[in-house]
Amino acid sequence: MLFSRTRKRAVVSTATATRVARVDGFVVRPGPARVVLLRLGKVSGHGTLLAWEDVQGFGPDAVTVATDAVIRPPRDDLEQRAEDNTLEILGKRLLSEQGTELGTVTDVDFDPETGAVISLITKTDTVAGQRLIGLGGYAAVVSA
Amino acid sequence: MITPAPALVLRASELIGRPVVTLGGELVAEIKDVVFEHAGGRIAGFTLRNPGLFSRSRKDALPWAGVHGVGRDAVMVADETVFIPAKELAPRKQARKADVLQDRVLTDNGRDLGRVVDVVLHGGTSLEVVGYEVQASETLGTAGQRVLIPLPDTMAVSGEHLIVPAAATEFVSEDLAGFGAAVDAFRSRLREEAS
Repeated sequence: MLFSRTRKRAVVSTATATRVARVDGFVVRPGPARVVLLRLGKVSGHGTLLAWEDVQGFGPDAVTVATDAVIRPPRDDLEQRAEDNTLEILGKRLLSEQGTELGTVTDVDFDPETGAVISLITKTDTVAGQRLIGLGGYAAVVSA
Repeated sequence: MITPAPALVLRASELIGRPVVTLGGELVAEIKDVVFEHAGGRIAGFTLRNPGLFSRSRKDALPWAGVHGVGRDAVMVADETVFIPAKELAPRKQARKADVLQDRVLTDNGRDLGRVVDVVLHGGTSLEVVGYEVQASETLGTAGQRVLIPLPDTMAVSGEHLIVPAAATEFVSEDLAGFGAAVDAFRSRLREEAS
């Protein structure tokens, strides 16, 4: 499933059967590359992060959670940077570990069952997710 | 799929201003200057400055051994722990940029090929000095022009001169395109002669 196809998807609480937020973005971490958090918008509380473990189901029409109580503020520096959007992978420059720019990440294909990143997509190439070794404020770095 | 990048050959001076990026994807510095080792004409490392327009130079430096990879767009390091104090990079007064760049290249049969104006690197993750760019002397027939001279993979270290095998004059290039192949051809010739 592509990130681009799932943005703005509704987050629904199964406890109350109501829409509690929408998906604004994804936080990816390397080694092995996976989605660790969802960034949410249109939330009612003050938190905007949803840990992948707290996602009940990532379906074609909605993301379900047991309760909106699992939506929370950042817990550490990394999560703070994620919330501030500095670690957003979409639009990030893609660098090889040899220091050559391979393009800009335009989309990411992931497994909605596990959160595993299958591939990073640029205008001209598709790079296997397991090659992602780092993701920082400046670049996503992939192994040779 | 991305095909492996072709062998990357570049001048050391091209690295000035290039971003220094960790494998974690963070921009941590920019290359300020290249520091050469006097003996042997190798590279000791790089001095650094902070990224940005009004960048200040820094007291730490990137030693040659701390470089993970060098490419067209960035110098890659594992993380910031590879940096060392700048004064450790160049402990002796001789270890300054100007030195190797003024040195003359001599062949082992005593011909002066010219004055070094830049050092040519093989980039990627197997970083290596593969040649010198020299202001050619009369010996080369292209006197006054800048030409590239390949280096053997092991070289006699001299304090005063940079000495290359005489056969190097047969593998001189005028530009970087094709110089990587010239280096390979020169080195395989040396190996044939040695065996």
